[in-house]
Amino acid sequence: MKRSAHLSILTVLALAMALATAAVVGVADAQKRGGVLRVGNLGEPPALDAHWTTASITETLTNHIYEGLYSLDANARPIPMLAESHTVGKDGLTYTFKLRQGIKFHNGKEMTSDDVVASLTRWGKQSSYGKALFAQVAEFRAVDKYTVQMQLKEKSAIVLISLAVPNNFGAIYPKEIAEKFPPEQKVTEYVGTGPFKLAEWKPDQYIRMVRFDDYKSRNEPPNGYGGGKTAYVDEIRWVPVPEVATRVAQVETGELEFADDLNLDAYDRLKKNSNVKTIVSKPYYWLVAVFNKKEGLMTNQKLRQAWQAAIDIEPIMKNVAGGHSEFYRMDNSLAPVEITTWHTKLSGLPWNEHNREKAKKLLQEAGYKKEPIRFMTTQEYKWMYDFALLSKQQLEDAGFTIDLQVVDWATLVKRRNNPKEYDVFTTGMGSFYDPTHHIYLTPGWPGWTTDEDIAKIQQELARETDPKKRMALWEKQTRQFYEKVPVIRYGDLFGLRAARTTVKGFNEKTERIRFYNVWLEK
Amino acid sequence: MAVVVTVVFLLIHLIPGDPVGVMLGPDATPAQIEATRRSLGLDRPIHEQLFKFYARVLQADLGQSYFLDRPVVTALAERAEPTLVLTFASLLVAVVIGVPAGIVAASRPGSLADRALMLGALLGVCVPGFWLSLNFIYLFAVRLGWLPAAGYASVFVDPVAAARFMVLPALSLGFNQSALIARISRSFMLEVLSQDYIRTARAKGLSQPIVLWIHGFRNALVPVVTVIGVTMAVLIGGAVVTEIVFNIPGLGRLIISAILRRDYPVVQGVVLVTAAAYVLINLMVDVVNAFIDPRIRYE
Repeated sequence: MKRSAHLSILTVLALAMALATAAVVGVADAQKRGGVLRVGNLGEPPALDAHWTTASITETLTNHIYEGLYSLDANARPIPMLAESHTVGKDGLTYTFKLRQGIKFHNGKEMTSDDVVASLTRWGKQSSYGKALFAQVAEFRAVDKYTVQMQLKEKSAIVLISLAVPNNFGAIYPKEIAEKFPPEQKVTEYVGTGPFKLAEWKPDQYIRMVRFDDYKSRNEPPNGYGGGKTAYVDEIRWVPVPEVATRVAQVETGELEFADDLNLDAYDRLKKNSNVKTIVSKPYYWLVAVFNKKEGLMTNQKLRQAWQAAIDIEPIMKNVAGGHSEFYRMDNSLAPVEITTWHTKLSGLPWNEHNREKAKKLLQEAGYKKEPIRFMTTQEYKWMYDFALLSKQQLEDAGFTIDLQVVDWATLVKRRNNPKEYDVFTTGMGSFYDPTHHIYLTPGWPGWTTDEDIAKIQQELARETDPKKRMALWEKQTRQFYEKVPVIRYGDLFGLRAARTTVKGFNEKTERIRFYNVWLEK
Repeated sequence: MAVVVTVVFLLIHLIPGDPVGVMLGPDATPAQIEATRRSLGLDRPIHEQLFKFYARVLQADLGQSYFLDRPVVTALAERAEPTLVLTFASLLVAVVIGVPAGIVAASRPGSLADRALMLGALLGVCVPGFWLSLNFIYLFAVRLGWLPAAGYASVFVDPVAAARFMVLPALSLGFNQSALIARISRSFMLEVLSQDYIRTARAKGLSQPIVLWIHGFRNALVPVVTVIGVTMAVLIGGAVVTEIVFNIPGLGRLIISAILRRDYPVVQGVVLVTAAAYVLINLMVDVVNAFIDPRIRYE
């Protein structure tokens, strides 16, 4: 009896193992190799040099070709990518990075410490994240073929996160390329270690990336932007389709497998198409009105507080999102919900008060005499224009005089660098992965936040390495933000993407699209 | 052309906006922007940049695109084929629709056919190309699935695919352009058909088609050829809306992208080519007109 019971248990176990194996094999079988994935996006990248520009299209494309020492996991925390591991000296000033061995560049050369030193040195001179990090670096050198060492001037909390950010990131190029192109000149030879390599770039027609057969994936499962990466498709063809209605039509007809950056008014139509899956991309941007704090009317903090008190954010967000509640979120944290490490839940903040009386009182205290406030926006990004227009109406009801100046994006970007040309401008804030990366809290970015208290906490955040103390500082900074009002934080706006149902394995949770680990069902 | 080029150079440089700000992205700092401006020579005074531009043009060098990482001449050569194919295809549609419509309308002025055709021509002038193009895409690509929604294939690489891609843009653009050709054809045919020699031809017992096509149409052809020439020149400068909606990588799309990105050398290059095309096409129209009407002589 006992023996037969053992046999039964063994049989059940064997069956369970066989089923589990079959399931695993089934999943593996489902992940098919091959095919061309055609992706329609808004436009042409200004460069395929990850160090050179902060343009989001460049970020998306270059992250398929290049990799950095670190990447971000699903919770936006740094995890190793080309680095094997790191150690920090007892004094907290020496970071030693062990590199993974046997990593090949697309030109067949092995990646070594010389490439890392040359690349990150270049990145440290051009990228805003690189500059912030290298301002704290006393020496960066190769120890041996697979080890690099970073000696800091002072303790720093931003070493790993700076090496992990995906935008304007510390991509590793071969030393010859990193040294050939000075930091202010964009790279035009595209050789990385990523799962795809650049095959052809025909401006305004397509960018072809093909699978890099010698790619050496990490052994961990995919995790956020990092972990294991497999190039299942033979080729990714990035097609710039500037007209959004055309992108929508092409994903409906199957001329594109994936379309990014779609207008929200296409949502209902796409949802009815059984061959297409709609994807709400979050986070996308939180909408922001940035004040010129160097010159002019908005240097007056009371006036900025009056703006904050006057606006009623929900109707603005609802309108910008085309009436779809799926596409906006009311949240006052400076880090979006998805950046779990830095998302705050503070109560009592003067956000979305829509208190007209308070606004009027603040205007009086500010000594405001109906002088026109130059509010600069653009119609190139419809959501910017929409929220500027709706804000103007609400603000004028509260006693402001708003001179809405609608210009094209290139003009806005130029003018916002000149403190004489505007009082407020619109833009969107994407994800920042560390409190020190929030550019609108820095004195160097347009709007010029030079407030000493804000700067002091920023400096403390850069030095403090204890996570709990950093979070406390960040909460303090958030409260300070709503008191000093360097910019106005509106709500979170989400984006719309669409994929054919044949596209499998796409990670919908990352802010920017990635097509490693994605396959096509034939 | 020198005047055109100078005016365009000054206009594009005087309007606000900066290529470097666009290239470096929204989070770039003013310091980064200034460094890159210096490396591109954009920090130099306008007159210095203008003289440099003149010197290069005289050597047939239109400079280097800031965005496209290639000489402007190469960029223009790459974009010429799609624009030329679209121009000729839509012109064919416009002439095939416009000329017969104008003649038929003129042959029976005031009739139902005349009114219907002129209403169609009025619609062709009034309906925005953008709206028509998007409706064509929705109907023929999305709903019926007969044709691709957008894209381009070279006629030299895959003629069948090229033809399929070109049908909808040529039809929508050609329909718009045919309206003007139809109205001009009708107007001049009416004038010609009221002439004494036409009455004489009819009195001699010649058939209506011979009167219309042999005696009438040839004499109305000069203004029709002129309007076709003007249409062609406009299209070579880039059918901007059609190229953008149908995602055709031609000169129209190039100049719009270049203006938005403030890619000064490319804007100047496209304008220079368009100005040259205008001059050349006007010359061709004069030659053709002299051939059609032997009374025309250019001193």
